[in-house]
Amino acid sequence: MTTIESRPETATKAPPGAKRRRRVHPVIVIALGAVLVVALTYVLPPFRNYQLATVGAYFCVTAGLTVLTGLNGQLSLGHGALMATGAYTLALAQNRWESLPLSFALAVLVTTGVGAVIGLAAARLRGPYLAGLTLAVAIVVPSVTSTFDETFNSDQGLSVFLEPPPEQYPMEQWQAWLCWAAALVVVLLLALLVRGRFGRDLRAVRDDETAAKLAGINIARTQVLAFVVSAACAGVAGALFAYLAQSVSPGAFPLTLSLFLLMAIVIGGLGSLFGALWGALLLVVLPALSQSVGEQTGSQRLEGNLALIVFGVVLVVVMLAAPGGLASIPSRISRLIRRNR
Amino acid sequence: MSTDSQLKELALHDISVRFGGLTALDNVSLRVAPGRIVGVIGPNGAGKTTLFNVICGFVQPTSGSLTLDGRPWRPRPHHLSRLGIARTLQGVGQFAGMTVLENVMVGARHRHAESEALAALERCGVDRYASAYPGALPYAIRKRIELARALVAKPRILMLDEPAGGLDADEIAWLGALIKATGTTVLLVEHHMDLVMSVCDEILVLDFGKPIALGSPEEISADPKVTEAYLGAAA
Repeated sequence: MTTIESRPETATKAPPGAKRRRRVHPVIVIALGAVLVVALTYVLPPFRNYQLATVGAYFCVTAGLTVLTGLNGQLSLGHGALMATGAYTLALAQNRWESLPLSFALAVLVTTGVGAVIGLAAARLRGPYLAGLTLAVAIVVPSVTSTFDETFNSDQGLSVFLEPPPEQYPMEQWQAWLCWAAALVVVLLLALLVRGRFGRDLRAVRDDETAAKLAGINIARTQVLAFVVSAACAGVAGALFAYLAQSVSPGAFPLTLSLFLLMAIVIGGLGSLFGALWGALLLVVLPALSQSVGEQTGSQRLEGNLALIVFGVVLVVVMLAAPGGLASIPSRISRLIRRNR
Repeated sequence: MSTDSQLKELALHDISVRFGGLTALDNVSLRVAPGRIVGVIGPNGAGKTTLFNVICGFVQPTSGSLTLDGRPWRPRPHHLSRLGIARTLQGVGQFAGMTVLENVMVGARHRHAESEALAALERCGVDRYASAYPGALPYAIRKRIELARALVAKPRILMLDEPAGGLDADEIAWLGALIKATGTTVLLVEHHMDLVMSVCDEILVLDFGKPIALGSPEEISADPKVTEAYLGAAA
């Protein structure tokens, strides 16, 4: 809890009209990020570029989820299913019309619509009941694909028809650019959205619904909006995954994906977009790491489950060392330095 | 707008609230004229907060009606702020995960939220806590922050639910001066008699949901029914 961390004595000492933290404008941060990513794609080998692209795709969904869960307090176990919605929409649209921008737009649009429906129900539910509803959504994905197997081709899934990238660019570099362009646009929009009144409303609803109502906030509308925004982000991520894998199947969006997403934003730092970036990084790095360890031991059973164990251990360690997540570490350190000075 | 409606900015007409077998409010009527400071007092469980909850739309009256500016009105909590009605909560309902400044900014419904919020904090004498988190602050400070959040909306009707609870004598004197200086209509639920008697133009006394007296502070303090309700018939 933040209440335990903040120290009133530093506040009382501050003069009237105390200096407030100046925040760098999100546009500057995003521009720097874009430069960094483009530079990285020129030095990384192809496989690393592919992993970088995957981080970008994950970043879209973790950013959206951290706004929903961290800032608005709505727990969603169904974001994997929302990603599946985006992925399948991209696949179906791409195979029919063969226009990537159109397919992306449709993927986001459809996922947003699905998110709105879930969000409307979610706004009436709290805590474990909300988690239950979203859990059901996550579980239902494979059944949907097998029930309507003529459209979704059951467990086999669909392959995605894609134009090759321009000749002068390697495939993986192109993928990394596209994924990160999407991720940075998504995160910039989120950052601009949550830094103003909407962000305050989200957190006010999370902290005290009665007081938020009296401040003129429409609770249900704020919650549905948060869910819709978050779903749109998941839609972008799902579409990017379909684009990266050039296929979609229910196996790519299991329940564990939704759980991993949630763990990632908690480890990264709930409610922080930087935390969402850390989470996205871990979602790519930890499974890759545990896979290489598993391969060395030669045990197939270990290989499949090691990622989950590693994630669990990291979660426990981070929560013990920095309850605010990885994103809170810099401010913890600076506070420690100030205290000892 | 007719003069009649101007004289009754907010009015309750024969409001009754029953929770199952319990009658929380029993035919309560109240007319609040603009700029007046109206106190609602009564022993614990008299229905004071329920009365506030009816005006805020948290509780639907079993019977009776409300009017705002002479027009029939069905309150909804999140519409109050737009209508110029602000209310503080008895148990300081603050946003624990937000700084004091942000807490007050939530109440500001206009563009210059930050400067308005700072001004409100300054007016309540707690601007130095702007960047702190409310959970770590003493109760009396949090009460003031709560007041700042209500004031920042520049309400025309200010509803204060036990604002003096937990405050010392100096702070209560400060609060009384602030209430008088707001210049807005004030509805005040309060146990602290000195405060109620010194600031209110009019006082409504409730006992077990029934209105037992309505009048000026002098009339109320001289009313034997009020003494009886507070001290009990046997006392």
